[in-house]
Amino acid sequence: MSCDELRDQYELYALGVLDAAERAELDQHLHREGDPCIERVQHARQLVSGLALIAPESRPPARLRSRVVGLVSEPKHSWFGVPAWIAVAALAIVAAWLLNTRRIQERTLADARQELSRKNVELAQLNEAFALMNDPAAKQVVFGEAAPKPRGRVFVNPKQGVLLLASNLTPAPAGKIYEMWIIPKGGSPAPAGLFQSQSDGTAMYLRKGAVDVASTGAIAVTLEPETGSQAPTTTPLIVAAL
Amino acid sequence: MTLLPLLFAIYAGEDDRSLAVRLKRREPAVMGELYDRYGKLAFSLIYRIVRDIGVAEDLVQETFLRVWNRAQGFDAERGALGPWLLAVARNRAIDYVRSSSGKMSRGAMELEAAEHPAVFVNFEAEVLSQDSARRVRGALGRLNENQRHVIELAYFEGLSQSEMAERMGQPLGTVKTWVRSALKNLRDDLGEKAITA
Repeated sequence: MSCDELRDQYELYALGVLDAAERAELDQHLHREGDPCIERVQHARQLVSGLALIAPESRPPARLRSRVVGLVSEPKHSWFGVPAWIAVAALAIVAAWLLNTRRIQERTLADARQELSRKNVELAQLNEAFALMNDPAAKQVVFGEAAPKPRGRVFVNPKQGVLLLASNLTPAPAGKIYEMWIIPKGGSPAPAGLFQSQSDGTAMYLRKGAVDVASTGAIAVTLEPETGSQAPTTTPLIVAAL
Repeated sequence: MTLLPLLFAIYAGEDDRSLAVRLKRREPAVMGELYDRYGKLAFSLIYRIVRDIGVAEDLVQETFLRVWNRAQGFDAERGALGPWLLAVARNRAIDYVRSSSGKMSRGAMELEAAEHPAVFVNFEAEVLSQDSARRVRGALGRLNENQRHVIELAYFEGLSQSEMAERMGQPLGTVKTWVRSALKNLRDDLGEKAITA
């Protein structure tokens, strides 16, 4: 292939996501001195480097700096002057004790990390939900006021997406899941994601992405097979007309 | 969320060239300065990929250790320290996710090629500047949903176009069209000046 034919692959190469055959083709060019692909891939690498800046800011734990610095720090204490066998024996005892302690700590730590991870995900979702709701551009619709269940609100934000807050929504039975639909005026429902409600019947689901509010007629929710459906197969449990 | 504090950290301290020289001299004190400059950015990137604080901490450590151990191959005069370190961070995180999800990890040679210090040379000095960040985020925001999604899948999850098609349940041709148009838009929007700011 010529360099021009490879034009679309430079950034994918820099991202490391080309399939093997495509990568091999481009590699051949990069090994030729003076090949135009070399400079173009270099530009692509710069563009790809900049993508790191789109990652949301996260604050590392304070202890991480010490851990990183400690990787290459000089040892502070010297074993000079201590007979080697004493040092070895002491280390063996400490190592055995540490191993046992570490096993216990690892189990506790793994549980704590899992919980923390869940909380972080929840927090991130809540932040996104608040941002969507607080945006003046968001349109709010109440549903299910007259019916015993389910009821709640739908927020439609043209830039950020659709947020559903519901209560009295019984958890979907085994093999089933709730599916959101965005229904255009005069059009067919488009699938907008799957979600499950909590054991207390509450549900919060955010479908991210731009929405054309003017052309949207309603947001609906149906019960579907757990793999989801391309079109509703049951009567909607929730219909929020915009 | 804002990246300003990160960018301030990057630009308030010693320049990268000086850090790289000291890194090659294996001065232990440089590790703290390198962390102050890029630790938060590396952690943010890795955490965005692995979504687990404990794992992200381990991978940040691994990233800095790898940079420390491989600094001899880095060109302190022409090299781009930040982009190299972030490429190592991204590769570590993606490799972890692929391994833990049972997907085949990328080969050692492929990784070697993707993060070899020698390839991160002759970058524009401002590749991670505040202005570049604004331009990159702006350009990404101007992509449509599908285009943005494929770029994020490629960058944050390291998925090939075939893997994206499978993940999104879309024909490969459709995904390739989205990728091609997304990259073209980014290229047109950012161009060479994108990163030179």
